[in-house]
Amino acid sequence: MKAVAHRFLAIGMLFAAVGACAQDDLLDLLGPVETPDAFVSATFKDTRIINGQSNETPAGGVLHFVIAHRFGQISDGAYALWGLDNASMRMGFDYGITDRLSIGVARNTFQKTYEANLKARLLRQSNTVPLSITGYSAIACNGLRWTEPDRENYFSSRLSYVHQLVIARKVNSKMSLALTPSVVHHNLVSTPQEAHDEYVIGAGGRFKLSQRVSINGEYFLRLNPREAYNNSLSLGVDIETGGHVFQLHVTNSQGMFERAFLTETAGKWLDGNIYFGFNLSRVFTVSER
Amino acid sequence: MKHSLTFTLAAAGLLASTGATAQQFMTRSAHVDFFSSTPAEDISAITEQASAVLDLASQNIAFQVPIISFHFEKALMEEHFNENYLESEKFPSATFTGNVSGLNTDAAVGQEQPVTATGTLSIHGVDVERTVEGTAVRTAAGWNLEARFDVPTEDHNIPIPKLVRSKIAESISVTLQAELNPR
Repeated sequence: MKAVAHRFLAIGMLFAAVGACAQDDLLDLLGPVETPDAFVSATFKDTRIINGQSNETPAGGVLHFVIAHRFGQISDGAYALWGLDNASMRMGFDYGITDRLSIGVARNTFQKTYEANLKARLLRQSNTVPLSITGYSAIACNGLRWTEPDRENYFSSRLSYVHQLVIARKVNSKMSLALTPSVVHHNLVSTPQEAHDEYVIGAGGRFKLSQRVSINGEYFLRLNPREAYNNSLSLGVDIETGGHVFQLHVTNSQGMFERAFLTETAGKWLDGNIYFGFNLSRVFTVSER
Repeated sequence: MKHSLTFTLAAAGLLASTGATAQQFMTRSAHVDFFSSTPAEDISAITEQASAVLDLASQNIAFQVPIISFHFEKALMEEHFNENYLESEKFPSATFTGNVSGLNTDAAVGQEQPVTATGTLSIHGVDVERTVEGTAVRTAAGWNLEARFDVPTEDHNIPIPKLVRSKIAESISVTLQAELNPR
């Protein structure tokens, strides 16, 4: 009787051995999902957090068009419809030469400034790399007529430069943070005492409220500040709808290019000198991959 | 005598399980593509990084497709696919586990035979019981499997916002092709 039990046990083991090849074990056989070359996508929804650059660049072959407005000061009150009567504009085109390198041009109402810029992803966050580093360099050209045309004026006096590193990390699917050390060089300064180089460090982030909506914030701290200006603080919302990203925000900076908001922010939050504004971006796939 | 029979059975079991591993076929470079067609826009994506395994003895089958490996023509579509629709950070792979019926393991090389796979299709973390028709062809080394089926986005809790509903089909057509070799 005992021997019979043994026999059944052995038969049982045989079936167990076959059963062990059941479906879920087959999946185990395939192991964990391996995609070693996968970079983290969409640390930020757009190439800018608000005013400042994010680590993102347009993908290769993609033209990224941004039209941005900053209205007048909210403290202007009802007479100027809280600033909406006075808009300052920036129109920018950025083109992704590759997934890691883009070039751009822009025109700003503010001081009729023209811009040319270069942005490169130096390091991209992935399974093995903890953060992204993107370099951004821009040259800005003041387009205003000379205030004293009779005197000898140099074209170089119109130019200013900015160089930045955007060090970003997508902490999780909702939260991303960025740290932005920057240097701004003014070819022309108002007094001999003023420094030509200003150093600024920025911090920004986003938190996704839903799949297509996030709240964003950023602050830029000037390390060798000029008295007349303030540090830039901006708060906003990103709304993504297919090929568009709408960024709505309030900020104490009216200028929309780096030199202007990093080193020439005139508004004070506590005095209500803040501006409502938006960036509206649209991508066009010029050459498909 | 009775004991020796027990041993024989156990030994047979051991042999059978060894034989079973020799009868497993797999690949890590299966092809999967999908296609969404609407009057407004056609969207397609391809991966060649899907894994598949077929156990001939049990006729069980498993597929695993890394979501992030799908490539689109437009970069923004790829970003939205991963970020907004499939949520690939939360659900990194789509899987199918099931059983194949109608597979004649003694078929001649090159002979195409219709087969049916019944099992669980898991996409976006939602499991759906599915029966999928396909074809199997025995090759010199292993097996070629092909199937085409539709995946309604609603089944897998993938909401399509109203704004883009005219551009994304309600049901996505999926094609898979796997060349399996002995494991």
